Amino acid sequence: MTHLKRLTAAIFCLLWTASTAVATPSVDDIVKRVEANLSGETAFMRLTMVVRTKRGKRTMKMESWAKGRDRSFIRITYPGKDSGITFLKIDNAMWQYVPRIEKTIKIPASMMLQSWMGSDFTNDDLVRESSISEDYHAALAGENETEYLLDLHPREEAPVVWGRIRMHVSKEYLLPARVSYYDEEGRLVRVLDYLEVKPFGERHYPTRWRMLPQSLDREGHLTEVIIEHAVFDAEIDEAYFTKRALKRFSQ
Amino acid sequence: MSRVLLRIALASLGRRRSRSLLVVIMIVMSLWGLLAMEGLYDGMTEQVIDNAIRSDSGDISIFADGYRSDPGLHRLIANPAEIAAVLDADRRIKSHVQRLRQDGLIATAHYARNGAILGVDLAAEERHGQLAAYLHKGVYDFGEKRRGALVGSRLAAKMKVKVGDKIVLSAQNRDNEVTALALRITGILKTNNMALDDSAVFIDLAKAREMLMVAEGVSRISILLHDRRQVDAVRQVLQAELPEREVRGWDQLYPALMQGREMMAVFNLITSLLVFCVAALGIFGVVLVSVLERLREFGIMLAIGTTFAEIRAMVFVESFVLGLSGYLGGALLGGLTLLYFSRYGLDLSMFSAGLDAFGMDAVTYALIRPGYFLTALAAVSGATLISVLLPLRVLRKARPIEAINRI
Amino acid sequence: MMFVHFAVRNIRAYRNRSLVTILLLALTTTMLVFATAFMDGSHAKMLSNAVEIYPGYIQITHRDFRDKPSLDNLIFDTGSVRRVVATTPGIAAFAPRFESFVLFAGDAKAVGGMLTGIEPAAEKKLSRLAASLTRGAYLEEGDGNRLYLGYELARRLKVEVGERLSFVGTGVDSSFAADTLVVKGIFNTGLFDFDATAAFVDKGYFDRIMMAENHATHFIVLPADPREADPVAADLNSRLGPDYLAESWRTTMEGLVQAMLVDSIFGYLTLAVIFIVIFFVVLIYTWLTVFARMREIGVLRAVGTRPGQILRMLVAESMLLALGSVVLGGIIGGVLAWYFHHHPICFSFSEEQFKQYGLAASSMPTAFAPLVILRDMAVMFVLAVGSTLYPIVKANRVRPIEAIHHV
Repeated sequence: MTHLKRLTAAIFCLLWTASTAVATPSVDDIVKRVEANLSGETAFMRLTMVVRTKRGKRTMKMESWAKGRDRSFIRITYPGKDSGITFLKIDNAMWQYVPRIEKTIKIPASMMLQSWMGSDFTNDDLVRESSISEDYHAALAGENETEYLLDLHPREEAPVVWGRIRMHVSKEYLLPARVSYYDEEGRLVRVLDYLEVKPFGERHYPTRWRMLPQSLDREGHLTEVIIEHAVFDAEIDEAYFTKRALKRFSQ
Repeated sequence: MSRVLLRIALASLGRRRSRSLLVVIMIVMSLWGLLAMEGLYDGMTEQVIDNAIRSDSGDISIFADGYRSDPGLHRLIANPAEIAAVLDADRRIKSHVQRLRQDGLIATAHYARNGAILGVDLAAEERHGQLAAYLHKGVYDFGEKRRGALVGSRLAAKMKVKVGDKIVLSAQNRDNEVTALALRITGILKTNNMALDDSAVFIDLAKAREMLMVAEGVSRISILLHDRRQVDAVRQVLQAELPEREVRGWDQLYPALMQGREMMAVFNLITSLLVFCVAALGIFGVVLVSVLERLREFGIMLAIGTTFAEIRAMVFVESFVLGLSGYLGGALLGGLTLLYFSRYGLDLSMFSAGLDAFGMDAVTYALIRPGYFLTALAAVSGATLISVLLPLRVLRKARPIEAINRI
Repeated sequence: MMFVHFAVRNIRAYRNRSLVTILLLALTTTMLVFATAFMDGSHAKMLSNAVEIYPGYIQITHRDFRDKPSLDNLIFDTGSVRRVVATTPGIAAFAPRFESFVLFAGDAKAVGGMLTGIEPAAEKKLSRLAASLTRGAYLEEGDGNRLYLGYELARRLKVEVGERLSFVGTGVDSSFAADTLVVKGIFNTGLFDFDATAAFVDKGYFDRIMMAENHATHFIVLPADPREADPVAADLNSRLGPDYLAESWRTTMEGLVQAMLVDSIFGYLTLAVIFIVIFFVVLIYTWLTVFARMREIGVLRAVGTRPGQILRMLVAESMLLALGSVVLGGIIGGVLAWYFHHHPICFSFSEEQFKQYGLAASSMPTAFAPLVILRDMAVMFVLAVGSTLYPIVKANRVRPIEAIHHV
């Protein structure tokens, strides 16, 4: 008798989850697909980064090669004086090569939260670009016609400084539209907008990323990354992801 | 010395009651002040030293060879268990603890600062140096899952974090790769050892091993002795037994504190000497006058057969009665004062910014050492003795017998 | 005038008592004057050292820089600040600095530190940087990429004079900045943290490489009279307007100022103990002499001298004695203070301790301040006369007949 009861209960449960899964993808699913849509197997991009401060703006151009989320290589191409500076990221480590001083420097842990190239991104943002699905519990906080609203709470062990991340995900592309970072007290620290989604072959990708820091000491700051050109899932030479590449591909 | 002479001595003190009282009060006051000063200053000095020893250096610390000039995970004590066995065999050693240390970055959503990550065993640290006594806020515990951290008070203030807040530690692990660990602050420690309060984050030793990929080995073994005076002896024995290690006493690790203690001792000595010299002058004046006044009296006594030795003894008794009463009064008041300050402490928190600069606690507890009272006794006796000698010479030269004939 | 005449006669008549009193009081006055001069002098020296090594007497920053030290809160127009400061009276020297957090990279490893652009010639007057040189040479204008760095930083980077290292940092326009530097000189200020992080280049070069032309993080201003730092800072504030903030060292180094205050308090407490004893000794001596003259007083009373007159005579006597000793002591103490002001006392043994507290000073000049010496003399005078009042009044109360028969 009791066995039968349990069985029916189980079957009901199964049916219920199955039916909801058909209606909307599960929250974890959304997060995983967003992540996949943002990185892809491999990616080559040409980017322009514009850093605005109270005092003016500065433009940089660069090329980036990435394989998955763990390995990437960046070369600065503009302005001329910075041209040839390269960065290599493998897992959690980051190296930098500066042609002017002909030196490869491993960025020490103590510099990880310093600004990257004067932007509102930190070295850590580039390196740890932390895996949201691994580091956060996601919960659906709401949805409308076009967007899911996700609340991401860090898992207890996750080495991330944010107290909460709120992510607007476009239903059409399953790409983030706006990501808001909060501290533990619930104060908004920074907002990252993903704008102007364009098609690149099979894939859609946001081509304008805008980072808006909210803290008082960074008032008037804004960093925009504009993706001029991108090729996804093409073959990328493994040679880019070695320390030798830093100097070799500097030119 | 006959009972009569004793009675005469006491009577002559009584006859000049106010004057005798003044001398006694003078000695009482000077002793009181000196004892209170000595106990409080020593309390202060020892407190600063004790803080450094308990929270950091131990009486003796053992490092891997070359660690102090080039610290890092590549210079660890590889076989702490073997060393522990050596330490356990030495009866003079009270306790020892192992710590793993790596410098790294401590971050919140708003701030990032460099700091020292210290992997410790809280229970062992408590048995060792009563680390829990330094707990300023929160609890002395890393929590059930050992994901807590105890943070130095000044570091916490600079990063504007409080108990319950999350911090992320990043550091290079043994393979030189940056690793990160999220922890929640369970407590804030205020050791008044600036080096720690400014930068230390205490985390669970096992967690630190996991994070830094150090399966075995520690950065430092800190040792406490039953008797701090044996530091040098024990250190030499340990260094001989562990030739491949750096064995250092607290005085070598904190030379400034050792110097501070020595300076304080010299300072106390000079002050005490000054006070007793002046006090001796006071006693001297009174004894001299009381001898001169009684020249006729002494002359008569000599004439009726009292020996000069007996008169000398009488003068000595008089002065020592003065000196000892002063000593007893001063020791009593000084002792009580020290007892009060050793129990309730002297609260100087209004100058806390200045005290922090010296690494001092806001409340100073006085020390009471039997030595204070013994030295004071010796000093008072010495001062009395010296101040009697000259009047006695004067007495001998004055030929009291002749004095009888004078008006 | 009569009292003075009598008083002088009496002082000479009771030569021994007078001598002891004078010696004692003069010695005490000397001690007080000298101790005060030493404490004030050493504190001033410690403070001025701490201030002069690098932080400077007055700092001018953008008004928000202290709270939010970002590239947005720089002094963006050094020219206008320069013009204002140059026309402000009471200023001996000033110069801009630009401090920037960078990554230094030697061959061995990369270390975070502070790269600062300075004007070498002006900086020489403003801080002890040039004087702290230990190897190589100090900077000059037009030195280009030649670097002047702390010995501990050099040790960490494993570089020597003449060797190369690089830095990577952020320019004022948030651009990337990096260059190769050549070590020109190595300094040791004695402040460990400073020596472990600080490095300097000529500001002309710094401005080019960091895009910092006409920019600065702060100005350092040396007032013509360092004691006038506060009013000069206030004056600067009103002249510079609300966009800038001029702060004196009393604000920027509050902890140290308080620490010196604590030290003074303990110094004066110690002196107080000594003074209490001296007060009693003088009291006792006055007591002895006054009562030795009981008969004289009795006779004076018997011939019709009123108690008030006797009182005045005795007080005049003690005032004369006190005045003489205080002047004598003041002169001796003053000469000592003056001598050790010009020939500072060296404490080589306490060097470590000073370093620990970030003071880096081992030679301690005394302060020579005539006003303070006069104040101490006045204090001693009051103390000396005060200590004689009780026996004088007490003796004066005795009835004439008793007095005449006083033994």
